[in-house]
Amino acid sequence: MMQTFKSLQFLRLFKGLFEKFGIDYDALQKILSIKLTMDQRRVPTIFNDSKKKEGNHFFKSLWIYALYGLILIPFLLLGTNYVFQMSLVFGLIIFIIMTSMISDFSTVLLDVRDKNILNTKPINGRTINAAKIVHVMIYMTVITGAFVTVPLIVGLVRHGIVFSIVFFIDLVFTLLFVVVLTALIYLFVLRFFDGERLKDIINYVQIMLSVGIIVGYQILIRSFNVVDFDIVYSFSWWHVFIPPLWYGATFELAMHPIFTGPFISLALLGFIIPVIAIFLYARLMPSFERNLEKLLSDSGKKRKSNWLANLWAALTCRSKEERLFFRFAMTMMKKEREFKLKTYPGIGIALVFPFIFIYTELSERSLADISTGRTFLFIYFCNLLIPVTVHMLKFSGSYKGSWLLKAAPIKNRSAAYSGTLKAFLVKLYLPVFLLLSVVFTWIYTLNVIPELIAVLLGGILQTLVTYKIINNETYPFSNSFEFAQETDGFKMFLLSIVTLVFVITHLISTFINYGAYIYIAVLLIFIFVGWRIVFPTTTGAANNKLI
Amino acid sequence: MESEKVLSLTDLTMNYGPKRVLNGVDLDVFKGQIIGYIGPNGAGKSTTVKIMLGLIDGFEGKVEIFGCDISEGNPDYKRRIGYVPENAEAYDTLTALEYLQFTGELYGMDNSDAKEKALRLLNEFDLEDVAHKRLSSFSKGMKQKTLIISSLLHDPDLLFLDEPLSGLDANSIMIIQELLAQLAAQGKTIFYSSHIMDLVEKISNRIVLLVEGKVVADGSFTELQALSEKGTLSDIFNQLTGFTENKTIAERVVSIVGEGSHDADL
Repeated sequence: MMQTFKSLQFLRLFKGLFEKFGIDYDALQKILSIKLTMDQRRVPTIFNDSKKKEGNHFFKSLWIYALYGLILIPFLLLGTNYVFQMSLVFGLIIFIIMTSMISDFSTVLLDVRDKNILNTKPINGRTINAAKIVHVMIYMTVITGAFVTVPLIVGLVRHGIVFSIVFFIDLVFTLLFVVVLTALIYLFVLRFFDGERLKDIINYVQIMLSVGIIVGYQILIRSFNVVDFDIVYSFSWWHVFIPPLWYGATFELAMHPIFTGPFISLALLGFIIPVIAIFLYARLMPSFERNLEKLLSDSGKKRKSNWLANLWAALTCRSKEERLFFRFAMTMMKKEREFKLKTYPGIGIALVFPFIFIYTELSERSLADISTGRTFLFIYFCNLLIPVTVHMLKFSGSYKGSWLLKAAPIKNRSAAYSGTLKAFLVKLYLPVFLLLSVVFTWIYTLNVIPELIAVLLGGILQTLVTYKIINNETYPFSNSFEFAQETDGFKMFLLSIVTLVFVITHLISTFINYGAYIYIAVLLIFIFVGWRIVFPTTTGAANNKLI
Repeated sequence: MESEKVLSLTDLTMNYGPKRVLNGVDLDVFKGQIIGYIGPNGAGKSTTVKIMLGLIDGFEGKVEIFGCDISEGNPDYKRRIGYVPENAEAYDTLTALEYLQFTGELYGMDNSDAKEKALRLLNEFDLEDVAHKRLSSFSKGMKQKTLIISSLLHDPDLLFLDEPLSGLDANSIMIIQELLAQLAAQGKTIFYSSHIMDLVEKISNRIVLLVEGKVVADGSFTELQALSEKGTLSDIFNQLTGFTENKTIAERVVSIVGEGSHDADL
């Protein structure tokens, strides 16, 4: 039966505040407790097997955030240059919260599926919307908690009680800032677009946000001049647009204390902006609800037949069934909004990351200097998109439709994923890789082409390995996205390490004469043999794999 | 029959982008009526119901329910409405009892009252054994019964039922049919949309036919029969929607299905 949630007991403290915003607190509490109850009941299998694990799987995946949080500790221990250290710390915190917000919880904010259930009841729209944002906020608080608890204790020990109090208050405002800012951005986008176009725009916004955070972090680091190992902060007007600096400044005020104009104004921004954002959001909430409806409308237009997809299918697939799944996966990846939501930001990052590193190198060396070295290996950053994206191929918003795959007389079941993986490589991996390759060839001259081919083959092999480790199922697009973030975080972490294995092998090959060609040959053999082992063409072997 | 006006639509118009879905609907519904709201797919039936429930904004014209204009944004009128959605949408991970208790509370019922009443109603619908099972494990008919209960739990005065009988067995259909008649006799108003003409013919005391966003016929079954030379509601429906090609379409479909099926090499 339903239980009382600690988070909701805590929320009760703010009852008066909610009511001030015109929110029906009792209804809010009921909706939230139902939503939290439902979150606990997600079971990571569509088959009702008896030993199914109950409980909120979200909480079991938290420790990975705690692990990530350890990254913050060196910055805390470094010294007492607070504006520098703490700006970097808050930069990382905002990065973690924002990415998790965009990829995992946007769907909660933009969800209109329960409209028929909730909006038909005598509750005002404001309350329903508040329930959504509080629901997200509860999870974001828990994630942030997991991320910063250890660093917070380290801070307490190293810098004392005042430091940790400031840290804590800053965290609360950071969290509010990120969640409400994201909601406001959606609100803005929803205002100007509708239907299919809106869905696309939201995807682009998400990609831009993700990439923006990363680039922003680089700018943040660059706003400090490193002079003789002494890091000196000098204020420029554009610093007011870098949120981590707001919070970095609060530490200077509290700890040193240096009450200069720039620090005071930066610190004030850190508290005023989130509050303004909340009031703005509360004001605009009703129009948000109204505009959400637009997500459902679809101004459908006829699409042109995709000769390119057919050409690729013919080039890469061995059987008719495999071609069928290739085209099916191409369409799914293109149309499935939730899939795009979860994977495209990663793809955007894959596209930008190699350049950020080359750019960092540029501050120390000339371009001509770089082009003769082994820094082209930075392109491997784009292979990091493989684990996450291949993992996502398991899921679909309309996973219930997958009964069709099981009911249809498919002869060779292994063709399903074989075709899907090929579609992934052609549709998502190859474009990113080619784009990067063009720029890399320009930087590193034509000599780099054999190396790039080796990277591409490495990517293909990694795709196969990743599938074997995490998916290993018969049919793609057949699980609910609800379980997408519950997969063992550690496994995903390990899979990113697989990329490192390829980097190291490649690095070794560069020390050998004709190493690239030997490496290419080895990779080709592995791909050719591996693909046939993982996806046998005989029907008998495949049958055993089913369920 | 002179009685209280429950809902009133005046010149209701709705556009989705350039597409006009409702084209000036006028309709007055009185207490105790069972309205059979029928029309071809895409005629705007669900849109009308959704507007009245406050699920869709941006309509033109006036919608009054229990005498209050719903565009004023006060959701209190919904307290007296019960709704069964067309696609059996519900929070599937909840148990039947939890779901009913939750909806009851959202309608302002007391927690324990909602529970007690829900259990008794589940019992009447032969669902007492599965009261603590999740909706996701329910068959379509069981889920539909649960949703019908959830629409009745708070004793509404106006019921919106969108295909309420889908998935129900013959016995349950008879219960619902009788139930609706008795509720109406008690003074409840029922707004019922369905594609099953036989049932609409039997249940409703007033039938409203919507075609391309406009009311083309409105009256009791006998009144509608006068408009047409044919017998059943199904025939009247065909005639008023200008549809006579059923036989030739079926013939074409059969011939297309038969084409090339034997040389497919799968």
